[in-house]
Amino acid sequence: MTTTQPHRLQTHEPILELNDVSVTFSMDRGDSRVVDEVTLDIERNEVLGIVGESGSGKSMLASALLDAVVDPGTVSGEITFHPQDEPSVSVLELSKADRQRFRWEQIAMVFQGAMSSFNPVRTIRTHFVETLSAHDDDIETGMKRAAGILEDLYLDPDRVLDSYPHELSGGMKQRALIALSLVLEPEVLVMDEPTAALDLLMQRSIIGLLEEIKTQYDLTIVFITHDLPLVADIADRVAVLYAFEIAELGPTEEILSEPAHPYTRLLLKSTPNLQAPIESMQPVEGAAPDPVNVPEGCSFHPRCPLADETCQANDPDAATVSDRHTADCHHYEAAPGAIPLEPPEMDEIERTPRHHGSAGEPLLSLDGLEVHFETEQKGLGLFGEPETVSAVDGVSLDIYENDVVVLVGESGCGKTTLGKAAIGLQEPTGGTVRYRGQDIYGDDSDVDATDRFSADEIRRALQIVHQDPGSSLNPHHRIRSILEAPLKQWYDDLDGNDRQSRILGLLEHVGMTPADDYIDRYPHQLSGGEQQRVALIRAMLLNPELILADEPISALDVSLRVEMMDLLIQLQETFNTSYLFVSHDLSNARYIAEKTGGRIGVVYLGELVEIGPPEQIIHDPQHPYTRALRWATPQLTYRDDRAQTPPIRTIDIPDPTDPPSGCRYHTRCPEARKVCAQSAPATKSGSDAEGHEVACYRVQDDHDYWEDAPIDDADLD
Amino acid sequence: MTDRDHKETLTDALDGTISTDGGTATPFETVSQVEESRADRFWTAYDTYVRAPLSIVWGDWRARIGFAIVLCYLLMGTVGTVVIEPTAPAEGPALIQPFETMDYPLGTDDMGRDLFSQVVHSTQEMLKMITAGALFSVTLGTLVGAVAGYKGGWIDTVLSSITDVFINIPGFPLVMVLVAIFEMGENPYMIGILLSVASWSGLARAIRSQVLTLRQESFVESARTMGLPTHVIVSKEIVPPLLPYIVINLTNAARRVIFEAAALYYLGILPFEKLNWGVTLQLAYEAEAHARPQALHWFLVPMAAITGISIGLILLGQSLDRVFNPRVRARHEKTTADEDTLEATTH
Amino acid sequence: MVFNNWRIRRVGQAVFTVWAVLTLSFALVRLMPGNPMGAMLVQLEQSGMNPARARELVEARLSVRPDQPIPIAYMNYLTSTLQGDLGQSIASGEPVANEIAQALPWTLFVMSWSLCITFVLGVVIGALMAYWEGGRLDVGLTSWAILMGSIPFYVLAFLLLIFLSYRFGWFPTGGKYVAGTEPGFNLPFISGVMYHAILPVLSMLVASGVASLGMRGNSIRVLGSDYLRVARLRGLSDLTISSQYVARNAMLPMYTTLLINIGEMFGGSVVLEQVFQYKGLGYYLYRAVNIRDYPRMMGGFMVITIAVVIALFIADMTYSMIDPRAGGASNESY
Repeated sequence: MTTTQPHRLQTHEPILELNDVSVTFSMDRGDSRVVDEVTLDIERNEVLGIVGESGSGKSMLASALLDAVVDPGTVSGEITFHPQDEPSVSVLELSKADRQRFRWEQIAMVFQGAMSSFNPVRTIRTHFVETLSAHDDDIETGMKRAAGILEDLYLDPDRVLDSYPHELSGGMKQRALIALSLVLEPEVLVMDEPTAALDLLMQRSIIGLLEEIKTQYDLTIVFITHDLPLVADIADRVAVLYAFEIAELGPTEEILSEPAHPYTRLLLKSTPNLQAPIESMQPVEGAAPDPVNVPEGCSFHPRCPLADETCQANDPDAATVSDRHTADCHHYEAAPGAIPLEPPEMDEIERTPRHHGSAGEPLLSLDGLEVHFETEQKGLGLFGEPETVSAVDGVSLDIYENDVVVLVGESGCGKTTLGKAAIGLQEPTGGTVRYRGQDIYGDDSDVDATDRFSADEIRRALQIVHQDPGSSLNPHHRIRSILEAPLKQWYDDLDGNDRQSRILGLLEHVGMTPADDYIDRYPHQLSGGEQQRVALIRAMLLNPELILADEPISALDVSLRVEMMDLLIQLQETFNTSYLFVSHDLSNARYIAEKTGGRIGVVYLGELVEIGPPEQIIHDPQHPYTRALRWATPQLTYRDDRAQTPPIRTIDIPDPTDPPSGCRYHTRCPEARKVCAQSAPATKSGSDAEGHEVACYRVQDDHDYWEDAPIDDADLD
Repeated sequence: MTDRDHKETLTDALDGTISTDGGTATPFETVSQVEESRADRFWTAYDTYVRAPLSIVWGDWRARIGFAIVLCYLLMGTVGTVVIEPTAPAEGPALIQPFETMDYPLGTDDMGRDLFSQVVHSTQEMLKMITAGALFSVTLGTLVGAVAGYKGGWIDTVLSSITDVFINIPGFPLVMVLVAIFEMGENPYMIGILLSVASWSGLARAIRSQVLTLRQESFVESARTMGLPTHVIVSKEIVPPLLPYIVINLTNAARRVIFEAAALYYLGILPFEKLNWGVTLQLAYEAEAHARPQALHWFLVPMAAITGISIGLILLGQSLDRVFNPRVRARHEKTTADEDTLEATTH
Repeated sequence: MVFNNWRIRRVGQAVFTVWAVLTLSFALVRLMPGNPMGAMLVQLEQSGMNPARARELVEARLSVRPDQPIPIAYMNYLTSTLQGDLGQSIASGEPVANEIAQALPWTLFVMSWSLCITFVLGVVIGALMAYWEGGRLDVGLTSWAILMGSIPFYVLAFLLLIFLSYRFGWFPTGGKYVAGTEPGFNLPFISGVMYHAILPVLSMLVASGVASLGMRGNSIRVLGSDYLRVARLRGLSDLTISSQYVARNAMLPMYTTLLINIGEMFGGSVVLEQVFQYKGLGYYLYRAVNIRDYPRMMGGFMVITIAVVIALFIADMTYSMIDPRAGGASNESY
């Protein structure tokens, strides 16, 4: 690990030069240019981040670097590669044999889909061996090198190499893929969304590993992502892509603190993070253009607050903002004034205060909730010894009227199962869920018959909005019949016209106009954001008391997330609903919780380890796991702690069929002591803040924990 | 709608007490802006269920051919039996070649029976067998598969075990044995059903696994959360995605019934009074038509009849698949916006 | 190969199916109205045998004694069947098991060749279609495949018989081997066996039409997969990519087609062997049904079913060795 300013470039010589590089697809609707005359130098040993929304052409640009654009796309322009101590080569003019050597030996690539980048019927070892032999490399030394790289990536080489792809977890596969791309010691590594499908902790850990690997193997890295905060953590320079062109390019620090292009500024403002005041976060209006229909002049002008006639007529060239910082904008000097990054001067926005604890009856009350799954044994399960996964284990939580609780945790930690059990979709194996005091799973004999809610009333009161809007709407029905279904079921007195006007009204209310055009569409004719709005309306039509929102924004583009969260919050106020949010992203959790005055709950392996107001969870986390999550959350400011050692022992999450004893986090907790492995800590008050509770010995000042010896890694094996 | 005053009216409206005067500004109360008449609804239904499917079918050459072929057979089985007279021995000279005379367009067999008339008059019986057999196996297969997949638990275990047994039994020998033991009558519907006694199992297994997947889909979970009753969920959410699959299986089951029925008649295992494609084959075989060049057409005519309807059904099945695809539908329906959504080429 | 739950369950399923088939046969013979026993009695009495003698004969041949209570009869039936006693033929008086043992190898011989060639042909043609997707070869072969799928195998069998045997005389019109050759390991006999099997095997190849369409679809899917793209970038040779990546992954789903073909081909052997007068198990069953020789009929049906059960079982086991993901729930993250 380098200690001296790792973000500074050591040299100023380009390793890759791109000149007017375009990628074109011929389609029925006309030629579509998905990379438009990009000119760019990539410097030796730098990490260049390329940021763009989906459909901005960033993946195509990545493929073009290896001349690997899929048919029928064609690359034009000039790409020159300057290897160390060798003559330069023009990438697009290589012969087939030379290109075959060039790829992977000089430039390697890591694809977005690590899950599907391995041949499912061959072991990981075979992948390494065949790559080495295809390039006439010595297998034995090559495999030694491979084992070394795998170890550097915190993988057990023997175990991983002998596995089939489906036997590895997502994070392991992703690291194995990185190792595979490095096995021929390339000079440049192109990574296309390498962490998109991974959890925060894994994502952050891999980013950390990349920095080490980069130094160790003397690499130049091109890192492509839609996630601006993520790239801020690793890149030396950042290129922002909009509508198939580079909008802005400059050192990371400058792009984050003094962006010159209006798009970059708006993008920064629309990205939820942990530091910036939530009032400053605002959505970018409008949508990115279609490749066959890019606006004349500056392609951003329809969405740009600074646009004038010049912008409509002329495509701007790159203007020099500072030494190594360019922006393709006619008005880059005016942009900082017109689009301030700081929140507008205004009166303190009134946040609806929420009452927790003693105030009022809880709307929904979970008590010692347990959901255990037996791993499915199909057919005659006479011989199988089914394994039990405790998805949720002893969670107690009260949700009040107009309350908002955001559950945060890694995937597979049981947060979604917990949510589903809470709204009556997943029968718990232990504990109770009470809706206004009444057990929703059956036994309600202790409630007075007169006060009792019918099963229908409870069903209507608890609704859900799913993660993937594409699959939450039946593709075979039009929006009309999707939204009519709940009305037909519950409002007998409405005739067809009443239902239609109600649906039209709601569509307009969420900004889907003209509504009578949308009502006759099929789900596939809507964008992801629009689909999510329809799903939201459908839940709201029943006038529910509580909505489980299961990662409702994670499938949306970054610039649309704030807008969707604002809509959710606004609907909550309109309809007097409580929310139980599920999220894997601490920034989004913070935005929701802070804006609504709600709470954040942190879930680890089926247990609620910490819960409290966002101020405490974000700025004063008590549980070591919450701290790890906070560390893993990418931030928009330039961080000095980039090289800091991760506050976790192991990257990989333990096997949920065999959870660790005692405190479940002790296997990964840097603070763990012997007692943590023996017994699980009870939930105690975490700070003076109301409703802040933590399940960790470290909040109990007088506990034996403090006298105990720390666990060392040998104890855990 | 940020105005706090509207909040109460909003929730009231949602509670079901909707005012119909249409005067206020909330999105839920503007009732009569878009009045849809009975005629409008009729035209929407017409567009959805009649015009769009036809338009889709018409847009595909395979579908046009398949549709035409199947229509031909349907006409033969209905109108044909009225127009074309049944044939009798010694009606014409023996073994006239096809296309020799327009009186016997497909020629005659060695007893002077008109082969064209034989083909036409056996179509009706065959169509009845096909209909009964295909409907039986597809209905039973869908039902067993859907119930096993949706209900799960011991019901699934029992149904799946039965399905597995039938999947392992070769259908044709079983049918042969059953026919021999039960001494079948001539009712074509019964024969069709008997021929399908084992063939539902493959479909049942496939439907079960699809239902297991569908049950996990978010839109099915949403429907459950909205408190929709099970029959609505199954008919509105589970079945539509399965329809293309069911239709393909319907045509495949129909083909199988034809193949097996003709084979059983050919083997002389099914009793017969009237002639049909399989019986003609058997008579031709017994008369050693395969060894006599001048009797070749006697063999070829029933074989062509069997193969022809099979091709028609295959083509039709493949194209009907498209009718159920919402993406294709949307392009053919007038009421839906015509534009395609942005299909990003870059990802 | 570890005997995990999935494999044990698969064995259980096969055993259960065999039991179900045996029970079904028993029920058909014993319980159904107009049952075979009655039919046999009538047959024998009509041929002039006295009733007591006829009854004796029926009991002996069917190994079912009508005066026994059903549970005992059922147990006796199961024991004797499992010991290989399938009763005696009415027509010949020979033990059915012996007769079947003579006929079965011929059917297995034709069926295994048909299966292998169908599979290879389907894979090769499907791969060719996928490689030249959209080209003239693809369109031509696709039409060919649809046509093949539309023809019942016996129609092709007739055509082959009419033209290649009767018209041109290239192939024998029936039989299993050249008359007069000594059965055993000698060239004239073996080549004769091969020669006689060619047309039956060719007729069954209609199934390769559907198989090749399946292979075409699978190959196109694999050609568009991420791992193929990565493999190309890694510079693997075309040979490795086409054999280890495309072919291997595209062939795995073909296994379902194979399963269906096994059942259909064994079932179809009845018609096929009748057309070619090829005296294997299918022909045996056909004759038994035609003359209503119930012991032969039930024995033939049971053996043909058990053959299919075993074939499917072997296919399942082989598949689980080729595809590491097969055999129960996948093991995410160890």
